Amino acid sequence: MTDRSLVQIAFYAALIAALGLLPQFAIPFLAGVPITAQTLGVMLAGVMLGPVRGALAVLLFLFLVAVGAPLLAGGRGGLWVFASPSVGFLIGWPLGAFAAGLIMRATRRFKVLPSAALAALVGGIGVVYLFGIPGISIMTGLALTEAAIGSAIYLPGDLIKVAITAVVAETVARGLPQALLSRA
Amino acid sequence: MAFWAKGRSVSAAASFDLTVKTYAVFEAVSLALDGKTVLDGISLALSERRVGIVGLNGSGKSSLARLLNGLRLPTNGKVRLFGADTVSVAAQLPRHVGFVFQNPDHQAIFPTVEEEIAFGLTQIGHDRTSARAEAVGFLRRHRCEFLADKPIATLSEGQKQLVCILAVLVMQPCILVLDEPMTSLDGLAAKRILQKLQSLDQTLIMVSHDLSALTGFDRILWLEDGRIRMDGVPGDVLPAYAADLDRRAAAEVWEGDGL
Amino acid sequence: MIGRQMTGSSWLHRLPAPVKLLLLVAGGAMIFPVTDRSLLLVCLAAVLSLYASLRVEGLRQLLYLRPLLWLLVFFLGLHGLAGTWETGLSAVLRLLVMVLAANLVSVTTRMDDMINAIRPVFAPLRWIGLSPQKPALAISLVIRFAPVLLFVYGSLSDAYRARTGRATNWRLIAPLALQAVRMSENVAEALSARGGSRGLARCGKDTPQTGRALRLSTNEKG
Repeated sequence: MTDRSLVQIAFYAALIAALGLLPQFAIPFLAGVPITAQTLGVMLAGVMLGPVRGALAVLLFLFLVAVGAPLLAGGRGGLWVFASPSVGFLIGWPLGAFAAGLIMRATRRFKVLPSAALAALVGGIGVVYLFGIPGISIMTGLALTEAAIGSAIYLPGDLIKVAITAVVAETVARGLPQALLSRA
Repeated sequence: MAFWAKGRSVSAAASFDLTVKTYAVFEAVSLALDGKTVLDGISLALSERRVGIVGLNGSGKSSLARLLNGLRLPTNGKVRLFGADTVSVAAQLPRHVGFVFQNPDHQAIFPTVEEEIAFGLTQIGHDRTSARAEAVGFLRRHRCEFLADKPIATLSEGQKQLVCILAVLVMQPCILVLDEPMTSLDGLAAKRILQKLQSLDQTLIMVSHDLSALTGFDRILWLEDGRIRMDGVPGDVLPAYAADLDRRAAAEVWEGDGL
Repeated sequence: MIGRQMTGSSWLHRLPAPVKLLLLVAGGAMIFPVTDRSLLLVCLAAVLSLYASLRVEGLRQLLYLRPLLWLLVFFLGLHGLAGTWETGLSAVLRLLVMVLAANLVSVTTRMDDMINAIRPVFAPLRWIGLSPQKPALAISLVIRFAPVLLFVYGSLSDAYRARTGRATNWRLIAPLALQAVRMSENVAEALSARGGSRGLARCGKDTPQTGRALRLSTNEKG
């Protein structure tokens, strides 16, 4: 791994942390369920850095959370988040970033906007929920369908984030094309 | 044998001759970045202790500086440092040629000053514990002990730049290359940093827009469009450069300046 | 960046981090299949008494977990709707025990000890030709630059407000990402200028002092 890749991974992990700490994005949505920009960071990591570096950035971020850095939205951190019902989502994050990166690469002939939207949708929602919903089911004893219904409250917010990810990727690609490392 | 040292050529380090007087030689060096020529046929031999580099933005100053410590390798021609071709010794060059950047925020890697200094020591082979102790001792010798525990983010701009310079000095380079080290500093901090630099035993090669900082230097290179426009003592080059700036400013033509 | 670690030297603080982690993993594995509510209540009482053994400061740690409580109430409600109220209660009790136990380990273990305890996990990196030193460097970089990125965001939002008069907007994420990329290029160059993440010839066998960084930065800023 080059110095450059290492620093990029660290910067995206820092970006995921910073996005989660921005209070401005905690939109009170549907009876107080917090919508934070953190998963936006996860989607961006995959879309911008590509599969391997994107997933590593998310893993690095989660490692810091595990050792106690209060970097999850709302200042949460520590081992307990991995014992909470959300653990499936956390496991889904690096895999989702990986999938998003793969899709960016596979659709490199397309324009950035639709390609990034697809990548964020499949990776950031599809894959993340694929692990998140069974996670809730296992941890809380709810049936899968109920767990899915429970998770649905996050869906509107996550769809907004898919749109933002696509626009951000497109903007970055215009401002600094080589920054879109997933296609470099 | 640490596995990551594998594939590292040990003999390359031996080809440095740190005693030569002419420490840097450029032989018809050209450099192209993204297909654009930024340096064009530079030939030079440097043996002075204090070398200044002036020129407009985009003239190739920073690239020239980066060629000196292997951050860039020439597209054509050869750069020799202490007799060794930088292409073959690029990995060892940071040990002998330190590099200080314009913006300290982009340079300091670690959260605290002590670690930033200790990093340089681990880079040159100290183990973790001895590096920590040695870093504190090093800061004390530079009368900066009070900084040791401070988070870098809380320092003033001048202190940050000082830490960046110390973090490079701790690796005991023979040459210090500085790319506009005072540009982000206020007048007082800039004066202090300059004093600190002037007091060093190391050979200094400094890119600067502040011409007054270079008056005490031994030699000034004036770069223009990737070539050396003028090369000589400050008394000759600096006034000529300043006059050229005045002439261009008076012409008030923004186009064609590459701005 | 503030950790939630309690300062102190209670018996739980003194217990070596690897021991605490192993106990946590073993305890989690044992309690996971348990559905008996009275047994789970006993476990909950046991964990709570561990908190109580850290006195007032320990009990105060429980307050930080309030957000989780709402989530658990929510899941309990879903169970109620599905008519599986009793399963839900067991699940929620079990979650409480596991979460409280995990949190107890976190708040009584310094971050650098935790990293050292987890460090063996990085050892396999050697097999794929990576230095275990790199994760440590990467961790330092995140801790150094997360606050810098927050600062950059602050500057961007000031600039945005100065021209639009409006509060901040998600549009600023694009320039934030751009700045992050640009800054990372500079940092990578500066790292290379000092010998890079591999270190120079005859590199020492140990990693940089990441752990200490974490501790210092957690003590920093009230």
